[in-house]
Amino acid sequence: MDETVAEYIRRTVLKIPRDEIKTMLEKWGLLSETQLQTINFRQIKESISQDVVQLCEENSVDIKQAAVLDIIYNHVYPNKRVWCVYQMKKTGEEAEFFDLTDFKKKFKGRLRSALKNVTINFREYEDNAIWIRIAWGTPYTKPNQYKPSYVVYHSQTPYVFISASVLKSNLPLLCQALVLASNYHDIREMELRSHSLNSLKDIVFKRYSQNFQTHYPRPLQERNVAPKSDLRIIQENRNEKERIERVNREVFGDGPQPKLEFAQYKLETMFKSDPQMDVLDKKEPFRCLVKFSSPHLLESLKSLAPAGMADAPISPLLTCIPQKARNYFKIREKKHFFPESFVSP
Amino acid sequence: MEEGKRNSAHGVFAHLERLEAEAREIAVKEEKMKQEEEKQARLKARVRELSLQRDMLLAKVRLQKKLREKRAMSDPAKSSARAVLEWKIKNIKGMLQISYLTGISGKQTKQGVCFCISTAYESTYLDSYYVHLLVKPEVQIYQHSVPTFIPLEEIAKKYLQTDIGRFLSVLSDHLNAYAGRKYQADQLQEHFSDQIEGTVQRNSLCNLLVFNYKVSSKSKTFPFNVRLLYGDLCCSLPTEVNVSCTPDAPASLAEMAAAHSDLFRRVALHKAFRSFSSAEESVDGAP
Repeated sequence: MDETVAEYIRRTVLKIPRDEIKTMLEKWGLLSETQLQTINFRQIKESISQDVVQLCEENSVDIKQAAVLDIIYNHVYPNKRVWCVYQMKKTGEEAEFFDLTDFKKKFKGRLRSALKNVTINFREYEDNAIWIRIAWGTPYTKPNQYKPSYVVYHSQTPYVFISASVLKSNLPLLCQALVLASNYHDIREMELRSHSLNSLKDIVFKRYSQNFQTHYPRPLQERNVAPKSDLRIIQENRNEKERIERVNREVFGDGPQPKLEFAQYKLETMFKSDPQMDVLDKKEPFRCLVKFSSPHLLESLKSLAPAGMADAPISPLLTCIPQKARNYFKIREKKHFFPESFVSP
Repeated sequence: MEEGKRNSAHGVFAHLERLEAEAREIAVKEEKMKQEEEKQARLKARVRELSLQRDMLLAKVRLQKKLREKRAMSDPAKSSARAVLEWKIKNIKGMLQISYLTGISGKQTKQGVCFCISTAYESTYLDSYYVHLLVKPEVQIYQHSVPTFIPLEEIAKKYLQTDIGRFLSVLSDHLNAYAGRKYQADQLQEHFSDQIEGTVQRNSLCNLLVFNYKVSSKSKTFPFNVRLLYGDLCCSLPTEVNVSCTPDAPASLAEMAAAHSDLFRRVALHKAFRSFSSAEESVDGAP
């Protein structure tokens, strides 16, 4: 077994938290039951990884098989990477039959024809997600296994989730291969980025709870049971409080919000001041960047009005994030008579 | 006490002084506590007084309300018309609530209309999907919870502007068929996993299923491979079925494969599998 492969396996095992190592090795399936039983999983990680490398030597594991362990690790801990969402477009009505083997063949073919030194791995999961791991090299060097790109694609949807590595120069080639393999015509980057892959999926697949008005009251809807407060305490602002709760629920829905870490607004609007003061002598747009960041941005926006920190209803620029499926906005000067300023598509 | 004994004259008086001081402190404390208790009792009495007052006022308000209602109801003609109106409103509300059972129901909103499409497959209720439409300046989709692999934009392009009813019914067909296919595939994996070898390869729309399953004949098991293609997206039965067995299998198995292929085309997937297991039982049971 190559030294580089051994080193790669050792470093990958070191990344995994100690309690998870056994389950991930079992999922990997490259070491037999008897081999796994010879490892003492209570020793320090350094020693565990050495043992694993030793056993892999016996099984002559190659780099492609070692890369599968990396995919398994990233599937369990996807939130360690930043994911961007891309949308593909097709111009005509085509048959909706998705053939997995065809997809894989076309994808590998396209990449390999442009770049000989790549390591490509596929892994399918139960929820129709196809995980693709690509390690990039150059015409003269072997692929760099420590900076792979990950692509998650759900068949028959136009959305692709890409966690690019630092090597951004390979992105156009990757996009081209995806478009070709999935029978689409075009691909563009959406302004939607987050650490939480599942939340990104919830937003674009519309799996998050939106509040729709119906006559039929949903049986599982938990009506807000007011906590048994002291009957001697009378709330003066009860009407206002209830109004805020109702408006908030209409906008955000009842369930948990998708997890985003930031929203960024690039303002290119004119500075509005008293015409007599005339701060700027040149009539130029005032460039400004507003960035909201939070461990869980949408939940914190949802709790702004009930906590009394903002008026309800909250600005639609903030609440449209899941519906417009973007968290990077460019706001320019309003040119037409619309009540909101013009938000670029 | 020892100190007192040592300096006899000063000690006793000092001791007495100390005891007096302690007694004074205790008296002061007791006085304070008594005062606080009195204050509490006074406040409690005040609270009781105020709540009695409030109850009296509330009772007065309630009485006035009743009188007003009685006055309104005292007119017999008015009361019966009002009763009829109330009955009508209750009826309509009940109808609107039940309308979701038809599969497509709607509610008027500030911006337009919100439609709810409920899916079901053979007497099992499945998920509901919502489409919120704006009506002016032109009919367009404002918000929806339809999954991305359902061709919503295509259906909207074809029917939304011309015939909203047709748009809803076509969308409902797509959603119901998808829900039905998904239900069959889920049931298969849940109840018949012992007959399936390996994993079931499916896709998001559940319109292409490929898997291997075991068939036992004369106490030997043979693997069958089946490929189910659901060409019509509005249908929950496959349009193309390929059942194949290994080339070295006996001829009777080829007949069985053909029979299975026909069965899959006509009957729901999980029901077909259920009939296999019951057929096997009857075959084994026969002498």
